[in-house]
Amino acid sequence: MKKSIELLAGPRLSRRAFLGSGSRLALGVAAFGMAGAGFGHGVLADEPAKPDEIIVRAWGGVWVEALDAGVSQGFTKATGIKVRHDLTEDNEIQPKLWAAVAQGRTPPIHVNWDTSTNATKSALRGVAEDLSGMSNLDGLLPVAKPVGLDGYPIVNVYSYVYVLAYRDEAFPDGAPDSWQVLLDPKFKGRVALYDDGIGFHPAAQVAGGGSLADIPGNMQPAWDFIRKLKTQEPLLGEDPDFTNWFQQGEIDLACTILSNAREAKMNGIKVSWTVPQEGADVETDALWVPKGLPENELYWAKQYVNYSLSKDAQQVWTSKLGLPGVAPGLTPPEDLVGDPAYPTQPEDFKRLISIPTPVRVEYESDWFAKFNEIMQG
Amino acid sequence: MSSYRASLILRLLDGLEAVRAALWPTGAARAVPYVFLAPAVLLVFLLALGMLYVGDSSLRVLDRSTFQQSETYSLGNYALIAERTVYLRILWRSLLAAVVVSLVTLALGVPYAYVMVRTASSALRKLLLIGLFLPFLIGQVVRAYGWLIVLGHQGLINSGLGVLGLGPLKLIYTYPTVVVGLIQYMLPFAVLMLAPAITAIPEDVESASDGLGARWWQTLWYVVLPMAKPGLVAASVVVFTITLTDFAMPEILGGGGNDFIANAIHDGFFAVSDAGLGSALAVLLVLIGSTCVTVLFALLGTGTLGLKQRGTA
Repeated sequence: MKKSIELLAGPRLSRRAFLGSGSRLALGVAAFGMAGAGFGHGVLADEPAKPDEIIVRAWGGVWVEALDAGVSQGFTKATGIKVRHDLTEDNEIQPKLWAAVAQGRTPPIHVNWDTSTNATKSALRGVAEDLSGMSNLDGLLPVAKPVGLDGYPIVNVYSYVYVLAYRDEAFPDGAPDSWQVLLDPKFKGRVALYDDGIGFHPAAQVAGGGSLADIPGNMQPAWDFIRKLKTQEPLLGEDPDFTNWFQQGEIDLACTILSNAREAKMNGIKVSWTVPQEGADVETDALWVPKGLPENELYWAKQYVNYSLSKDAQQVWTSKLGLPGVAPGLTPPEDLVGDPAYPTQPEDFKRLISIPTPVRVEYESDWFAKFNEIMQG
Repeated sequence: MSSYRASLILRLLDGLEAVRAALWPTGAARAVPYVFLAPAVLLVFLLALGMLYVGDSSLRVLDRSTFQQSETYSLGNYALIAERTVYLRILWRSLLAAVVVSLVTLALGVPYAYVMVRTASSALRKLLLIGLFLPFLIGQVVRAYGWLIVLGHQGLINSGLGVLGLGPLKLIYTYPTVVVGLIQYMLPFAVLMLAPAITAIPEDVESASDGLGARWWQTLWYVVLPMAKPGLVAASVVVFTITLTDFAMPEILGGGGNDFIANAIHDGFFAVSDAGLGSALAVLLVLIGSTCVTVLFALLGTGTLGLKQRGTA
């Protein structure tokens, strides 16, 4: 830029020099134009070669639709790089990424949309690129910063709550107010949880008469509550199962992520949700970039993550998911204003249970195993 | 054929023989069987290599601070499996299902195979053959979802019961549901193993039995079944091993609370990111399955799976 101005200020300006400085000036303006579109500063005119596509792992259904609408389409429009979504499950792609990095191969994806707990495991293993220095990291809400890690090997992108979803017809008098409703004999065989109990362990701790301060040292109240729940013969599954079970009338109650319950409702299934008096588990999801990518692809993978943190991208992406993002000043969806499962203010988080990620990383496997041990009995 | 054409063919064959002799000298003829065995040996070698890798992984414990497997070997994963009673429960569940499914498919498969082989009606034989092979065109997952439609809360059976003012009954996501799904899946395998054995029984032998005054069930029990033993053994082994290692039916029909050992192995690798634990469970599954098959072979012979068949030296 400075050289262009010097050239323009010179007493004798040739046509070639004028055209050259003009084009450099135009490119500089274009770079700042991309900054306005969510890329921030630092996208230079002499950027690395663009790959034909970048591959982003995503969950299916409403999740990938939201990512596509909020982030991927905007990224493609701004850069011309196509985005392909890989719908391999997060748990299944993790060993593939770890193996690729360990064997010095190019990983199968460019960006991993992952739970913060899983992403932290990958970061601890040393397979995640450092994302520090991305322009859109500045000004994000504190929840974006990963806990227990140096720098930004991962970046948290939104929060979500494991709500108590219920079929409206089963509760004509209004929402249940306690997780104890899962033990009501009339709901035997009509209750659903995630197959490893994820999102339920902290709530079970409180519902079982224990305290959050005892996590992870003494989880016996949680296991006692889950043992009682076992007699209810709950169904155990994943995200698509819950929607199917509500749709087929197989269940009346489920501990599931708000987005799934909201998507079911928006598709005409008569389902609602609540945060019971004992509270509900709140977690975050993250984006991270695996090591081993070619330099130019690494650059654009980071640009994708950076773009996802912009206010414009976050607004569309997280609104479709019905989840509070990490960019400040986002407008909540109309149907979720004031919903305790959509926390936006510090006081909203008082009803929610937040377990630090390092504790989850260390103990989650044990919690899954214990849950499995009870449920497989 | 004209003598010119015959001459041409003979010259062509001589040419091909010359090429063959140049590429593969006569002295090397003894190596031909080994050449044909080579692909199978290579396949088994790759499988064995994979098992060695799994075995190595099973001896490395996960470090939760780095999520890397340990550099040193230990039996930590096996100790963990022994400690957690859930794995014993899952293993018992898998073995029980393998035995029950084997026995039921044999009981259903013998009459099916017998009728298919012995019927004089070609139309019936064709119908039975279509019924046998059609399921192979439909994947296991699709068939499992079919059971959900039939047995679900709003499925065919409960809808019918509803019309009669009964139900709904809980027919899905139980252990018996998984076993029924597996029986339906395994029955064609059993029939495929039984049919050749029954075909090999000369009809004259059965006629002789009838002629000597035996009732049909006496002929079945004292003549057909003993002579069909090779097929019974083969069917048992195939159905037992596939059922023991099944993943899809318990996953889809079990409702999450009726896992088999394959589901536990999957969880070890993918749910808790512990490849060592998953590998240890896999090694145990291979050992237990192999032991069961070895015992069966030792007691009853290898059946139609063996190289030595009835009637050969």
